[in-house]
Amino acid sequence: MAFLRGLEHGSREGGSASTESPSLSDDLVCNQVTVGFAGVLALDRVNISVNRGEVVGLIGPNGAGKTTLVNAITGFAPVTSGSIHLSGRDITHMQPNQRAQLGLSRTFQHGHLFSGLSVRENVELGALAVGLSQSKAKVLVDELLEKLELVRLAHLPVAQLSHGDQQRVSVARAAAAKPAFLLLDEPAAGLPEGSLDELEWVIREAITDSGAGVLIIDHNVEFVLRMSNRVVVLDYGEVIAEGPADIIRADVNVMSAYLGEAGVPEEVEQTFEKTDQL
Amino acid sequence: MKIRIRLVYELGGPLLLIALVALVGSMMSIAQQANVINILVTATIVIGLYVFIGNSGVMSFGQISFVAVAAFAAGILTSPVAIRSTTMPQLFHFLAVTKISNLESLLLGALLGAVFALLTGLVLMRLSGLAAGIATFAVLEITYDVITYWNKIGPGARTLALVPVSTGLSVSAIGCGIAVLAAFLYQHTRSCRLLRASREDISAARGIGVSVFRQRLVAFTLSGAIAGFGGALFVHELGSIQSSQVYIDLTFTTLAMLVVGGSGSLWGATVGGIGFGIVDVFLRNAENGVALGSLHLSIPSGTSTIILGAFMVAVLILLPRGVTGSRECLERFSMKRFSKAVRLDDQDVPRKP
Repeated sequence: MAFLRGLEHGSREGGSASTESPSLSDDLVCNQVTVGFAGVLALDRVNISVNRGEVVGLIGPNGAGKTTLVNAITGFAPVTSGSIHLSGRDITHMQPNQRAQLGLSRTFQHGHLFSGLSVRENVELGALAVGLSQSKAKVLVDELLEKLELVRLAHLPVAQLSHGDQQRVSVARAAAAKPAFLLLDEPAAGLPEGSLDELEWVIREAITDSGAGVLIIDHNVEFVLRMSNRVVVLDYGEVIAEGPADIIRADVNVMSAYLGEAGVPEEVEQTFEKTDQL
Repeated sequence: MKIRIRLVYELGGPLLLIALVALVGSMMSIAQQANVINILVTATIVIGLYVFIGNSGVMSFGQISFVAVAAFAAGILTSPVAIRSTTMPQLFHFLAVTKISNLESLLLGALLGAVFALLTGLVLMRLSGLAAGIATFAVLEITYDVITYWNKIGPGARTLALVPVSTGLSVSAIGCGIAVLAAFLYQHTRSCRLLRASREDISAARGIGVSVFRQRLVAFTLSGAIAGFGGALFVHELGSIQSSQVYIDLTFTTLAMLVVGGSGSLWGATVGGIGFGIVDVFLRNAENGVALGSLHLSIPSGTSTIILGAFMVAVLILLPRGVTGSRECLERFSMKRFSKAVRLDDQDVPRKP
């Protein structure tokens, strides 16, 4: 039992506690967000915040509510209770397009690219949709395609691209909006391990100039931990741990969520006992 | 440079086709010219349909309402004032006494079509899929009933006659060309590009910040303007009009033209409007007997509708994106060349990191 108490203590050290509301001065704030579908709680009073320039990872087992949280933040899933604030402004009941106009940009789990259009057109639309004129969008997109090494593919329909290149276009389209916050839903899904360095580079390049805050979710935990300044762990719609990658990596709650109680290795238990003593 | 050439093809192709049809028409007899004029006027209406249906991907059965309102307004206001009190004694006073020129009536038709589309669009453009189709059909029904039974705004169920005829071959060709130009300019605006994004993937479009309602409303209004313009051309082509002429038959015919040609491109709409029109005219003539060189072709009355229906089904099955593949003029050719060039360039390109 002492071990479990230690875990609870350890899991809260890295960031704001899941039961405490984060400060509304944070840039992107979910405050006690609950989302229910047909009587099932997909998210239960979730508090999470992302600051500008920060990369926050969101991990959790299948069905933990990761995509639901991104959908709730971007307006694709209605919030049952709680609130979402963007730079102090309540956006809880805004339409997805209104949120995008305010600086929330996202990618989708299954691409959702405009498959009949070319790479350039896809990326340009990201800029046009937030109000840039066609001439300004062209200049911005030229830079972005150059930066993300998409120039040679610019005029190809995205349907002809490999999965990895489609992910690259997806990030480019989201970045073209010069967002304040970029929400990446499973950007590494379906990519071979060898492509992850390239994807990480693409994401970091995409936000270099704008200094956007990033919320990234992916099943590849190592990839998320490597990219993130801070990691939030969801399980059954609740935040079970939050903190820097090193702490999360050793968090037995997290291990338990992924592997079950029996799967918690001895060395992880020892790590937490040491952390508790400190 | 490649993009500029594509734009030239995109606008030049439809304009060239219209010019070619007008040129061939000018060599025909007066009776045959009437068919060519009708084809060009109908193609104008089809282009109006394309502006909304083609760019948004939302089916609408209501565009002929805008044709009807514009046709009756243009017809009434250009007809001789002296006869209105006898043929339409219950008309509102301003309709009974106001007289405008045929040219003004074309502009009025476009304006009325746009305003009517804007007002109905404010309600309808929040709908998608089947609901949008049914709701636009309801607008057509309501418009038809109001025009047919409300004697204060027109002749009711009777024919509106003595409308001055001014839509000749050149006017119909210029009118159709104006519709093409308007559709071309629109499809290169930011607004239309955002609308097309919503046609491709509505969730993704909303996710990147597109107000689907607003962009659809813009297209619906412009579509109404072009349809209204087509309606004014239509009434000045025929010299008379009945409400049944701007109802179900015209709705079905113009939609079939758009779908057969390829609803996703301006070239498809133009080819559909003109090509389908030519086949339709030929078949209708064949019902009365037509000479093909030494052959005399005569088909039973009503066969043209059956053949056109079967033709449409065949196209939908074999070429679901229409005979043009919903591509702009020569687009396929330029895309193939470009794709090949990219693939050749794509070899051994180093990537970061």
